[in-house]
Amino acid sequence: MSGQRGQRSAGLENRFPGFDVLSQARHWDRVTAEVVLDRTAPAPVLKFFTAAEEACAAALLDQITGQPQEPRVPVLQMIDARLAAGETDGWRYEDMPEDGQAWRDTLSYLDADAALRCGTVFADAKAVDQLALLQAVQDLESDEWHGLPAAHVWSLWTRYACTAFYSHPSAWNEIGFPGPAYPRGYKNAGVGKREPFEVPDSQPSDDPVRQGA
Amino acid sequence: MAGVRSRNESAWLLPNDGTRTNHQLRTDMRRFADEDEIDLAIVGCGAGGSVLLQRLARAGWRVAALDAGPFWDPDADWVSDEAGSHHLYWTDPRVIAGTDPVPMGSNNSGRGVGGSMVHYAGYTPRFHPSDFMTRSLDGVGADWPLDYQELRPYYAEIEQELPVAGEHWPWGDPHGYPHRPHPVGGNGEIFLRGARKVGITAKVGPVAIANGRFGNRPHCIYRGFCLQGCKVNAKASPLITHIPDALAHGAEVRADAMVTHVGVDERTGRATGVHYISGGKERFQRAAMVAVAGYSIETPRLLLNSASRRFPDGLCNDFDQVGRYLMVQGAPQTAGRFGAEVRMYKAPPPEVSTEEFYETDPAKDYKRGFAIQTVSPLPITWAEHVAAQGHWGRPLREYMSDYVHWSCLGALCEFLARPENRVTLAGEKDRFGLPVARFAYSQCDNDKALMRAAQGVMEDILHAAGADEVITIQRYAHLVGGARMAADERQGVVDGNCRSFAVPNLYITDGSVLPTQGSANPALTIMAVAARAADRLIARRGSA
Repeated sequence: MSGQRGQRSAGLENRFPGFDVLSQARHWDRVTAEVVLDRTAPAPVLKFFTAAEEACAAALLDQITGQPQEPRVPVLQMIDARLAAGETDGWRYEDMPEDGQAWRDTLSYLDADAALRCGTVFADAKAVDQLALLQAVQDLESDEWHGLPAAHVWSLWTRYACTAFYSHPSAWNEIGFPGPAYPRGYKNAGVGKREPFEVPDSQPSDDPVRQGA
Repeated sequence: MAGVRSRNESAWLLPNDGTRTNHQLRTDMRRFADEDEIDLAIVGCGAGGSVLLQRLARAGWRVAALDAGPFWDPDADWVSDEAGSHHLYWTDPRVIAGTDPVPMGSNNSGRGVGGSMVHYAGYTPRFHPSDFMTRSLDGVGADWPLDYQELRPYYAEIEQELPVAGEHWPWGDPHGYPHRPHPVGGNGEIFLRGARKVGITAKVGPVAIANGRFGNRPHCIYRGFCLQGCKVNAKASPLITHIPDALAHGAEVRADAMVTHVGVDERTGRATGVHYISGGKERFQRAAMVAVAGYSIETPRLLLNSASRRFPDGLCNDFDQVGRYLMVQGAPQTAGRFGAEVRMYKAPPPEVSTEEFYETDPAKDYKRGFAIQTVSPLPITWAEHVAAQGHWGRPLREYMSDYVHWSCLGALCEFLARPENRVTLAGEKDRFGLPVARFAYSQCDNDKALMRAAQGVMEDILHAAGADEVITIQRYAHLVGGARMAADERQGVVDGNCRSFAVPNLYITDGSVLPTQGSANPALTIMAVAARAADRLIARRGSA
């Protein structure tokens, strides 16, 4: 597992200099624009998580999405809204509770682990301890963690977190993806080709994996 | 091609003013009363149900199709966005189990009129002749009660109606396509380049996206959001390829109507219609005949939820066949990293495929084979690939920032039908109080060997194309089986004409009747089987 190892500074925020997905919003169809721009509006108040769960979930999601400080993609609020609406992926593992309960249960288990290791709730643990606690869950793979298959817990957390994070225009900016493409479409598909509104990678040989290895 | 419009006018019934839905056709739609005994009630408006509806409406039958989901309008209901397309998938609760549980939802389950073809990639290969007799040829799987030749004319018909674009196809029963192949984007280029270098034949297509205008359907704009519903009306789904013509010929589509169980006369054992819930009210549509087309999870679930005194273990389940032999394809996806920018999100994900490894190779220690195709995941799906490598936190973000450099191929491995891979009813209930489906899946050794072999070939292709690094994610694609056709009632649920063995006026016309799956995306075959069943019904009963 690579997990948090192999850290390096890649200039993540400036890989596609000047690229701004929202600058093209005038070319999007109205229905799509409403859906996407809504994600950039002030985040709604939480409905699903209790206060204790909110603190724990915020710390967990900051770690999973690598967002230690503002400005953040509001992953916590997006997941809370999904869970409040019961918007699941349409299935659950037989050995897991339904998603909402699974979130509540696993957050309480994280707090229990933190109490044991650091004598605090997860949210109050030092970053290095939070990382270690999460790495321990990931390393269990298909073994059990508090009676649940750790891999299924990990899948729940990362699935919800990545779906929220990579639905946000800020996330698209850092990966060079232009987002909605209707009704304009693309005219220059092919290796090495770009549309006028796409920005070339400023660090094309900067393969994060090999450098991290 | 001249004949297409004369037998299916759908593409000409759509608007040509830049909007995508013929609202007048829906407003003027015929509406049957519940107490009116119609000739046929169809459950589900996807690949199978829609083709059957259109064919029978043309033959003058009084026919209605009920669908649990909405009657989509691509302009108002669909977005050019990944997360915003969540409502296209069937997300009612389902429980997955077995040693290799298969995620549902966006992966394989559609909702609303058009079914899963609303969000399928668009690949429409035919099955090979060998797929219909794998038991005889290879000692695995099952033989169909019909052979390839019986389906062949229906394949050709449907390919014209969608229509399908692609190069001349050298595999299986060699054939051409009505539309020329599309130009390829970065991902397709990489596949073609790598395949050429390692000596594998790869071809552009077959893709159910018109190349050029087709009727009033416009040209593809290569925006890459095929899996999110085509806002252009370029990619085929029954919503635009069969439903308009069905409505024009007097069929009814009753959307937002969840069928809860099939009515059966306890004395005669015949189907009497369908019980459904619409607007919170329980209703019953009388019908002389019922066709179930809810796909491989919901069709078995509906039959099991339709137990009665005559069928205490579920409708058509006297021999414990309902829900069994459900199949998915092993679908590992291998991606390669290139110094140049590939930007695989531009151009439709379905571009290029090879079926060179489709048939049993006597030199290998496994039976049957696999196909390889371009897949081109968008960012959220791509994050799954990266997270599957164990990355999270800042390293995940850095890895993701490399997105434009990656090319991604997917395999479809022919997993074998096994009786224990099946749908049963879970203890949990949905909001209508109906038990939800529990779907158990476990791979056999042959399945696992195919996954490994396919991954190896994809890695070879990508390395040959110049990839300096490759990663693979293990996943599954498609559903077929669960109410399969067979020679008799002890081996399956329906006969070769899709008529159930147990109830003479009950048909099943969807992917659940397929006894094998090959390494082909199933949509075209599901439509062809439904078109053939329609012809048999019409011949049997005559045009009304």
